[in-house]
Amino acid sequence: MTPAEPSQAAVRAQVRKFIEDNFLYMRPDLHLGDDDDLLGLGIMDSLGFVELVEEVQSRHGIEVHDAEITEENFGSVSAVARFVATSRKS
Amino acid sequence: MCGIGGIVRPDPGAPVTEESLRRMAGALRHRGPDGFGLGLAPGAGFLSTRLSILDLESGWQPIQTRPGGSLIVYNGEVYNHPELRAELSRDGVACRTLTDTEVVLRLLDRDGLAALERLNGQFAFGWWEPEPRRLTLVRDRFGVRPLHYCVGTDGTLAFASEAKGLFASGEVAAEPDLLGIDEVFTLWAPRAPRTSFRGVNQLGPGGVLVWERGRIVSERTWWRPEYGATEEPAGDLEELIRDSVRLRLRADVPVGTYLSGGLDSSLITALASEASDHRLRTFSVTFRDPRFDERGHQQQVAAALGTEHHVVDVGSREIAGAFLDVVRHAESPLIRTAPVPLYLLARATREQGITVVATGEGADELFWGYDLFKEVALRQAALRDPGALERFDQLYPYFAESGVRRGPGWRRFFLEAGSADDPLFSHQTRLAATAAVKAFYRPEIEAELAGEDPLERLRAELPEAFGRWSALERAAYLELRTLLEPHLLAAQADRVAMAHGVEGRYPFLDHRVFEHSVRLPPDEKLDGMREKVALRELASTILPEEIAARTKQPYRAPDVAPFFEGGAPDWVEERLSEPALREVGIFDERRVEGLLRRCRAGRATGYREGMALVGVLSTQVWHSHFCAAPGVGAYPPETAEPEVYVDTQLELAGRGEE
Repeated sequence: MTPAEPSQAAVRAQVRKFIEDNFLYMRPDLHLGDDDDLLGLGIMDSLGFVELVEEVQSRHGIEVHDAEITEENFGSVSAVARFVATSRKS
Repeated sequence: MCGIGGIVRPDPGAPVTEESLRRMAGALRHRGPDGFGLGLAPGAGFLSTRLSILDLESGWQPIQTRPGGSLIVYNGEVYNHPELRAELSRDGVACRTLTDTEVVLRLLDRDGLAALERLNGQFAFGWWEPEPRRLTLVRDRFGVRPLHYCVGTDGTLAFASEAKGLFASGEVAAEPDLLGIDEVFTLWAPRAPRTSFRGVNQLGPGGVLVWERGRIVSERTWWRPEYGATEEPAGDLEELIRDSVRLRLRADVPVGTYLSGGLDSSLITALASEASDHRLRTFSVTFRDPRFDERGHQQQVAAALGTEHHVVDVGSREIAGAFLDVVRHAESPLIRTAPVPLYLLARATREQGITVVATGEGADELFWGYDLFKEVALRQAALRDPGALERFDQLYPYFAESGVRRGPGWRRFFLEAGSADDPLFSHQTRLAATAAVKAFYRPEIEAELAGEDPLERLRAELPEAFGRWSALERAAYLELRTLLEPHLLAAQADRVAMAHGVEGRYPFLDHRVFEHSVRLPPDEKLDGMREKVALRELASTILPEEIAARTKQPYRAPDVAPFFEGGAPDWVEERLSEPALREVGIFDERRVEGLLRRCRAGRATGYREGMALVGVLSTQVWHSHFCAAPGVGAYPPETAEPEVYVDTQLELAGRGEE
């Protein structure tokens, strides 16, 4: 990891803030856990997922390939943070 | 064009009061500003409010063939009425008036409902046969003209062009129908027979309902769109559309056109201009926000065709200013403000003395013009070859400003939007986007709707042949039945035009043009990413090349800015306040508060916020206007003298009679 790259914890915080800003304003009672299923809990709809993928690309400068858009990589806050970390290494 | 209504009771001895009919007439007077007529029979009453277009002197309704004979109240136009009248005359049936109304009534008397097949037009009517006390309600093929009804526990049936006519009758009270409202936030509008009001039904497009002595004895569809392979040649599109335009210029008043600047309305305007015996007047909406504006194209067409062109310039102030009126006329929650500029356009059209306009409505559904058709073709191709997903990036260019950006996420969204086996495959992405509004429901509303699925209801009601049609034909059917009729022809056409007594006419919705479009080979509608191919080729011989080649630009209007920019009316915050949201009880005040924070901060720029804001606000306004209103007291009776007064037991009497 280079000093300029945020830690996984920082990425988690950024992802969480993006989701809170853009999706959780309509779910005031919901506390989002890092491993909560974003689609399964209805936090994001399928078009919201599109926005999350684009956010990850533009904020972290990662090129996401079609085959990488899976729930394993984007299904939770932790998953996104792991995906960002892995993508930077590769 | 008119407003119509009536009340029929099982018991001929049970009165229908003139006051009830006068209230209904008052509620529907905007549809017929030129006067009204009443008809009374034992245990039955009818009314018509009239917009005079044909036979200005003697065309008043109700019309009765003879004392004690059948009677009709009729809203709409049958364009081939002169030919039908001539045929009746050859058979020795004479008409007293020059109206299409009387032709329809005499055809019904002669041929029964088989007569419907002969009618080319847009209409809704109530046909009363005193013996055997039978009322038949009919609506045109595509559902251009509206017709609502309710049935009481005693078997009384009331009908009216608009739901407000029913509330004025005193036969039903305005209460929300949660399933109807949920259909708005699923499909953009409730689907017939459902409406947003409990106990208020609408007759579906191409529908017939027969009531007899207190019972609905038949409810069926007399016409519906049929697709599928056919051996019949398509015929000459130019000849057909020219004839359709020619028929739709038939009126005893001047006819104008709406000109959006796109292919369809430009083509109709060109053909109407050629066929008119006077300089055609054209009407357009321009937007101060350049993202929505098409004035350059409009001016280009108007100049090329030499029309007398009028524009209504619309911005946030005008949209907010007319929103209450539009919801009142639409009679349903909305998810877009797009009907509002068309309401303002109709007002301006009326002010210019034009009461009939032809428009390009229907072409995108018949000739596969919407991006939705391209999307279906691409999604089908992608399921076969997932390697070619980049072409999805060409879809819906107007989404670019809404925060939904092109790229792998976008492509995946389309690829995984739904199974090709699902009958609703074509519409899954739109359905997913629209459902965002439901995230703002109160928890108890979510619980109440938990066992209800509007899409399952839709799937269950698809025609038996649906599964044999191609994916694009299925998409076209769903567009006609779930969007064109319930929303585009209603809130965005009939309601906002008739609010000002302006009649819209739709040459593409001539059933002969529809049948032609079905027979065309698919690639003459959509060829790769080129839409409306046959129409475009026709237009290239008539219109400036740049217009004929233009890509479809969807008609939209700003959704959030009008209600949060400086100068927004006070009622916006009041209707969206916590007490007001709690009182209506559909949307959760805490969820909505988050949305409002984003709106106030200017951050609500996405599709989700736009639809949600208009959905919540219009629901609040709609509820306040209708459901919180004080019963029939909200609908004062007409106090003027009716132009015609029919007592079915007596000779026809009134100013309009010979």
